[in-house]
Amino acid sequence: MKKRGRGIACMWYPIGFTVSANPSAATVKVNEDGTATVLTGTVETGQGSLTVLAQIAAEALGIATDDVHVVSADTDTTPMDTGAIASRTTYVTGNAIWLAAEAAKAILFETAAPMLGVKVSQLEAKDRKIQVKNFPQRNVSIGEVAYRSQVVLGHPAIGSASWNPPTVAMDPETGQGKPFATYVYATQIAEVDVDDETGEVEVLRIAAAHDCGTAINPMLVEGQVEGGISMGLGMALQEEMLFDANGRLINPNLTNYIMPTSLDMPELHVDIVQGFDPTGPFGAKGVGEPTAVPTAAAILNAIHDAVGVRVTALPATAEKVLAAIKAKRAAEQPKQIPA
Amino acid sequence: MTDVTLTVNGQIRSASVPPETTLLQLLREHFNLTGAKLGCDVGDCGACTVIVDGQAVNSCLMLAGQAHGREVLTVEGLATRDRLHPIQQCFENSGALQCGFCGPGALMSAKALLDENLNPTTQQIRDALAGNLCRCTGYTKMIEAVQDAARLLRDEPRLKLTHA
Amino acid sequence: MNEHSRILEREKVDIAETLREADLRLPAVLPRESYPIEPVTPDARQQTRAIGQRATRADGRLHGLGQTKYIDDLSFPGMLYARIKRAGIASARIKRIDTSAAEAMPGVMAVLTGKEIPVNSFGPSFQDQPVLVDDLVFHAGDGVAAVAAVTEQIANEALEKIVVEYEPLPAVFDPIEAMRDDAHKVHAPNSNIYATKVIRKGDVDKGFAESDHIFEGRFSTQMIEHVSLEPHAAIADWDANGRLTAYATIGRITLARSDMARTLKLPMSRIRIVGTVVGGNFGGKNEITQEPALALLSKKAGRPVKGVFTRGEEFTSTTTRHPIVMDYKTGVTKNGRILARQIRLVLDGGAYCSWSETTLGKACILSPGPYKIDNVLAEAFVVYTNKTMTGAMRGFGAPQVCFAYESHMDDIATALKMDPLEIRLLNAFDEGSPSPTGQVLHSVVVKETLRKAADRFGWEPRS
Repeated sequence: MKKRGRGIACMWYPIGFTVSANPSAATVKVNEDGTATVLTGTVETGQGSLTVLAQIAAEALGIATDDVHVVSADTDTTPMDTGAIASRTTYVTGNAIWLAAEAAKAILFETAAPMLGVKVSQLEAKDRKIQVKNFPQRNVSIGEVAYRSQVVLGHPAIGSASWNPPTVAMDPETGQGKPFATYVYATQIAEVDVDDETGEVEVLRIAAAHDCGTAINPMLVEGQVEGGISMGLGMALQEEMLFDANGRLINPNLTNYIMPTSLDMPELHVDIVQGFDPTGPFGAKGVGEPTAVPTAAAILNAIHDAVGVRVTALPATAEKVLAAIKAKRAAEQPKQIPA
Repeated sequence: MTDVTLTVNGQIRSASVPPETTLLQLLREHFNLTGAKLGCDVGDCGACTVIVDGQAVNSCLMLAGQAHGREVLTVEGLATRDRLHPIQQCFENSGALQCGFCGPGALMSAKALLDENLNPTTQQIRDALAGNLCRCTGYTKMIEAVQDAARLLRDEPRLKLTHA
Repeated sequence: MNEHSRILEREKVDIAETLREADLRLPAVLPRESYPIEPVTPDARQQTRAIGQRATRADGRLHGLGQTKYIDDLSFPGMLYARIKRAGIASARIKRIDTSAAEAMPGVMAVLTGKEIPVNSFGPSFQDQPVLVDDLVFHAGDGVAAVAAVTEQIANEALEKIVVEYEPLPAVFDPIEAMRDDAHKVHAPNSNIYATKVIRKGDVDKGFAESDHIFEGRFSTQMIEHVSLEPHAAIADWDANGRLTAYATIGRITLARSDMARTLKLPMSRIRIVGTVVGGNFGGKNEITQEPALALLSKKAGRPVKGVFTRGEEFTSTTTRHPIVMDYKTGVTKNGRILARQIRLVLDGGAYCSWSETTLGKACILSPGPYKIDNVLAEAFVVYTNKTMTGAMRGFGAPQVCFAYESHMDDIATALKMDPLEIRLLNAFDEGSPSPTGQVLHSVVVKETLRKAADRFGWEPRS
C-alpha cells in the first residue's frame, strides 16, 4: 500500500573558500566599435559561467550580452583565477570582471566627458550609449567613444582588476571568525509515496526556493537547482560506492552504481527568492552547490512523514526502508506473554 | 580488416577498419564526427547514441561491421546550413544543455522519439530519454525542450522531411 | 563642427524619440537596489539591460550542434594513447616493478614509473598524494605505472605485461576504527586523524542544563562519485624549447599549472594549461590526476600523449564525496527553541587528503544549521582509510550535515508535536544574526525561502 508523506529541509551555504585567499583576476577590453572582450582564467565546467560573466560585463558597460565575447581557461592568455569551485565564480570572478569593466569604462568616460560638455561624474553607460545622468538625450554611442579613445586620443579602453572575498581567520581553539564573505539560503520541500510492502520510494514533486542574491540569469539558476536536486535525489535513495572486505570497489561502473535517470525526476517547482547582496556584482551571490544540499534531507523527512520510520544511514534504498518499516511493526506488536 | 560502407547523414562513407572497431570509434576516429561521445563504452550512459535505420542505438555496442549498408544519423546531420533543427533550437532556448557532453546522445534519442510520435506524453519523453544519463541538468529542461520541439514540428510539416 | 556641437545638434532633433527608446524596457518604478527578473524576451542576448535576462548560452549553441571540442575530441599528429596500471590492492609495499616486457612491445613508445617523477607528491593542503606510487600503495585505485602507445589497444595490452610484485600490508577501511590508537596507520608514522576542527560558542553544558528536552541522534552518509559524463582526460605535448602545453579537464588551471611546476620541477613560464569546456566537474576535476605522468611520457616519446580515464577509473581512481558519521545532541525549550547543540563529525578521509581540510572546515561551520543557537560545540575529524581518496564534491560536506541537522530537527518537531515548518521559522537566522563562528550575517533570507517553498508546495499545518 502506498503512503504519502511530505518533508521540509532548509539550509545555508557559503560562497568562496574557508578563510583562505581565493582571488580572481580579469581584464575587460572595449573594442573600437563598442563591443567588448573579457579575459578570465576561470573554466567553463557546464554551469554557464561564461554567459553569466558576459552578462555582468555587459551590464557594467551598458551593452548587450551578445556584444561581449569571453575568453577563458588558458594560463598563457588569461589572468589567474582560483577556479570553478566553491560556488565562487559569479561572486568572486564576477566582482573582478565588474571592477575591470568599471576601469575600462572610466577611460571611456574621460573621453566622452568633453564630447558631451559635462563632468565625468555625470555620465552613465546604458543602451550602448554613454549619456548624461538624468538628461539621456545628451548622449554619444559607445562605439564612437571607444573609437575616439583608442584611435584618436591613443587611450584604449582596457581595464584590469582582481578581487578576493574579505574574511577573518578562525581562532584555532574556538573557531570564531569570519570564514566567508557571504552565504546563500534555501528550502526544499518534497512529497513522496512510500510503498510499505516493498519499501520503494517515489518522489512525486519538490518545491525548491533558492536564494542567489540577484539572479543574473534565471534560466541558468533554474538549471542549477534542477541539476542539484537530481544529485540530491541520487544521494538520498540510490547512490553508493560499495567496497569488499579487501577495500576493492564492487561497483565501479554505471550498471551497478545507480544514479538518477529521466524516469526518477519528480515534478519540480523552482522559485528564485530575490535578494540583493551589496557585496556581490549587481547584488549576486552564487548557486552552484547549494542546490544539492537540502534534497536528501527533504526526501528522508518525507519518508518519515509517510511511514513513520527514520532512516539514518543514506542511501534510503528500498531494502533499508522496508527493514525499518518491519522493525517498527515488530516493535509495535503487543508483547505476547506466554501462558 | 573489415570494409564498411554506409550512409552517414545522407552521405555514403567507407572505411577499412580492424574488426573489433565499434560504430562509435568508426564515427569519431575515422569519419571525424566527434559529436557522439565515449562515456562508458559499455552501453550504460547513452552518450554515444546515434540513429541507425531509424532506431536510437548505443553506438559503442554496435560493431562497425554491423553498420555496413545501413543509414546512420548523428547529431551533425540534424542542422542544415541555414537553420538549426527544431530540437536543437528548443534545447538551446530552454537551456537544456549545460556541460553538453550528454547532449548529442540525448538529442538523437529525442529525434528518434519525435520521428515516431509527434505528440508524446511526458512519460513517453521520459522513457525515450531513460537511457541517456545526465549529471548536470536533472532532465527537467530537456523534457520541456522535447515538448516544445514536438509542438514546433507539428506546426511545420515540411520539417518532418529532414534527411534520414 | 566639433564632436561636442554635433552631439548637441542631434539631441535637439528628436528628444522625445530618444527618451522613449531609453526607457522602453524598464518598469515604471525601479526599486532602488534590486534587479528584477526580466520576463522572457525574444533575443534576450540582445537586450541592453543584461542582468536578469534568460540569455541563452553561446556555448549551448555549439553543444547542440555537436561542435564543442572536449579533450577526447582533440587529436594531434603523431599523438599517442596513455593508460595507467592500477594497483588493485588496497595496502601494499611494491617489491618490484618490471616494465621490460611492456617496453619491448612494438607500438609502445614510453613507459613510466613513480621513481622517475621529479617531485612525486601533490595536494592542495598536504602533499601526500603521489602521481604514481613508487613505494607504498594506499588504495586499490593507485596508479603504479603508465604507458604510451600508438593505439589504446596496444596500451591496454602493455599494462598486462607490466609485472608488479606486492607485499600486502595491513589496511583499515572504517573511519571510526581508524581513529583508534591501535589501528593500522595508513600514512605511518602520522596519526590517521589528519585534520581536526573545533567551533565553540557560548557554553553547551549550561545550555543543556537549561533545556526542557534533550534529543540525540546519529546519522551517516555514503561514499558518492561525481559521475561527470565526461571522464578525466588530458593531452600533453612539448615544444622544441622545452615548453609544456597540457590540455586538461581541470576546473582550476592556475592551481594545475602550479602543481605541474612542482611535480615536474619546471618554472611556471614554461607551462601552459588549457582548459577547453569541461564535461561536468562537480568538484572532481579540481586538481591534477594523470597530467604529470602524461607530460613525462610525452617527453620520453617525443610525441603528444593523450590519456582518458575509463569509466571504471572514474570510480576507483578519482576523488569522491566524504562519507560522514554525524552525532547530534540538541537541547530545546518546551516551545521548541534551540538552546544548545553539540555535534561530532567523523569524515572518512580516504587514502589522501585532497580537499578534505576544506570539507572538514565547511562541514563543521555549517553543521549547526541555519539556526540561532547561543551555545554550540562542534568537533570534526577527518581520518585516513585505505579506500578511494575523498575530495571536493558539490557541497563540501554540506549535503551530509544538512541531512543530519534537518532529520534531527524533524525528530524534535515530532516529539514536541510541532509543525516542521513552525519549528524552523522559530529558530532560523534573521538578518544580522550571529553565525556559529560569531559572524554577523547579512542578506539573510532563510525564512523567506521557507515561506516561499511552503507556499508553492501548499504546506498547510495539520490539526
